Amino acid sequence: MKKLFSLIMLMPLLVCAQNITADEIVRAVDRNMITRTSKANVRMTVHSRRASRTMEMISYSQGNDEAFSEYLSPPREKGTKMLKLGDDLWIYDPGTDRSIQISGNMLKQSVMGSDLSYEDMMEETHLLENYQAELKGEIKYDGRECWIIELKAKSSGVSYFKRKAYIDKERYVALYEEWYAKSGKLLKTIKASEVKRVSNRWYPTKMVFKDELKQGKGTEYIIDSIEIDLTLPAHIFSKAMLKK
Amino acid sequence: MILRLAFRNIINNGWRSLINVVVISIVLIIMVWMQAMYYSWIRLAEIQQSEWEYGEGMLRVRAYDPYDAFSFEDSYAPVPGELKPGIESGEVVPVLLAPASIYPQGRMMGAIVKGMPQQQNILSFPSHRLESGSSDLTPVVIGQAMAKSSRLEAGDVFTIRIRDISGAYNAIDAIVDTVLFIPAPTADVGTVWLNLAELQRIRGAEDMASYFVFDDGKYRSFSNQDFRYIDRDEYFADLYQMLANERFQQVLMYALLVFLAMIAVFDTQALAVFKRRREIGTLAALGFTKGRIALLFTLEGTLYTMFAFILTPILGFPLFWYFASIGFRIPKGYDDFAIQGMTDTIRFTYPMHEIAIVFLIILAFTAIVSWLPTRRIARLNPVDALRGKVN
Repeated sequence: MKKLFSLIMLMPLLVCAQNITADEIVRAVDRNMITRTSKANVRMTVHSRRASRTMEMISYSQGNDEAFSEYLSPPREKGTKMLKLGDDLWIYDPGTDRSIQISGNMLKQSVMGSDLSYEDMMEETHLLENYQAELKGEIKYDGRECWIIELKAKSSGVSYFKRKAYIDKERYVALYEEWYAKSGKLLKTIKASEVKRVSNRWYPTKMVFKDELKQGKGTEYIIDSIEIDLTLPAHIFSKAMLKK
Repeated sequence: MILRLAFRNIINNGWRSLINVVVISIVLIIMVWMQAMYYSWIRLAEIQQSEWEYGEGMLRVRAYDPYDAFSFEDSYAPVPGELKPGIESGEVVPVLLAPASIYPQGRMMGAIVKGMPQQQNILSFPSHRLESGSSDLTPVVIGQAMAKSSRLEAGDVFTIRIRDISGAYNAIDAIVDTVLFIPAPTADVGTVWLNLAELQRIRGAEDMASYFVFDDGKYRSFSNQDFRYIDRDEYFADLYQMLANERFQQVLMYALLVFLAMIAVFDTQALAVFKRRREIGTLAALGFTKGRIALLFTLEGTLYTMFAFILTPILGFPLFWYFASIGFRIPKGYDDFAIQGMTDTIRFTYPMHEIAIVFLIILAFTAIVSWLPTRRIARLNPVDALRGKVN
């Protein structure tokens, strides 16, 4: 009887889920992922062919355009800061006490030897602005019911021509993503293995980024703590912060 | 008569003269060797760069700065219509370049991908090797320096990831068709060569190029909003600048060598004026003016150099021959610096006009140094001289 009652109660949601469009799914994902402001303590572990290396950092972001992060460990990287303002990216190296702007070919290089490039960090996260979404089917991934969404670039200037994502039906979080080149070659995969409730949204807190062209086990990105939609002082996102 | 007298005096001087001549000769051998090394190095670099990259002239897209990696991404422009007949007839070779990431054995490294037509005869590059076969793999050619840094060998398959001109990633799988000895470092270090049409396709840059190479100076006056002519002086500017820096060290070395040789000559001459004061007095008594006596001594000193000129090719022959036929190669390990003209064996050619100038300079110095001690003769009283007194 209890089971029947639950089924009757869930019926409208299930019907709704059946009729949902790809755009609505992606919009919901965007709503989950894009924050007004955030502050997070992050660990990034790079698993290269020979060894693993963990870096800790504190990251601040404001909308899509502004982000600031400072490396806290290991000692070699401690004090390194990165600032993203719109399309510009600066890095401060405490060893030389200099800030350099990362542009051109340097944007293709990996961030601290990880599977992420500076360009990936600069990527626009509003998926629907850049991609045409198509619902390709459903799949059970990592024990959870997911939609398979294929995203195709709307314009020629988008870095990854095609993406495929498994979106958690319940939490509207991409649990697995594939990023493709124009030629159809798989370039990167992202796996979210832990999703937590943060404020009133679901947020992936443990992810593995993998450059599929590179050997190695990828880069683990673990968010130890995150605060969302908090008030951040404006000076955090200024070049003056790099040398502070 | 003075010349004969000077010649006889030199011969009579015996070992002292021989030592002077040998010292000057050794100095000349070293100077000729250095002169030939720099000359041959630059000449080889010019030949290699011309054969492999510059041709007889180059038209380069204005946005491209070979010293600024940031400029590579935007280094393309449409092929000017005026050049198309030349491209078809083989007088012009278009080359497109793009920054890329390559993944040899799963390692990521930055590279410059350059596309060249598979049929061209201007450059020494075996571009027919870039012809696509039936396989899905794109054949590429790399130089030995690139093979060493990327640890790629002929037959290896790797991925090239590139951004097209609108910014989207593209990626292809490539196979190393050939690992070549490319003597021009700028066409080898960090460079992957593939078919122009293929690069244009994956880059989304159809009918575009980064630079053009010519087989003559026909397009020297060509210029438009996208491309400009690069003359030899501009193309080789860094090489010439490097030579200028080396030249400074060379001049210092020359100065030191000449100084040592001139000390020997000066010493001999000063001693001769002192030892031969009776002879000076006799000559003065016989009616030689002081000027003629000074000329005699100056000639004697200068004759050392003249004899050294004769001795230099004889003494230096084994060395000169060795470097002209066997050549000189920078030691293994240092060739990683990829300096133009130093990637291959440098076989010396001897620039006769430059060597002649060096000889004349040495001659002038010897004359001055030989003359300096003879100033005493001007102050000499013939009677005192006959008595063996010199002030």
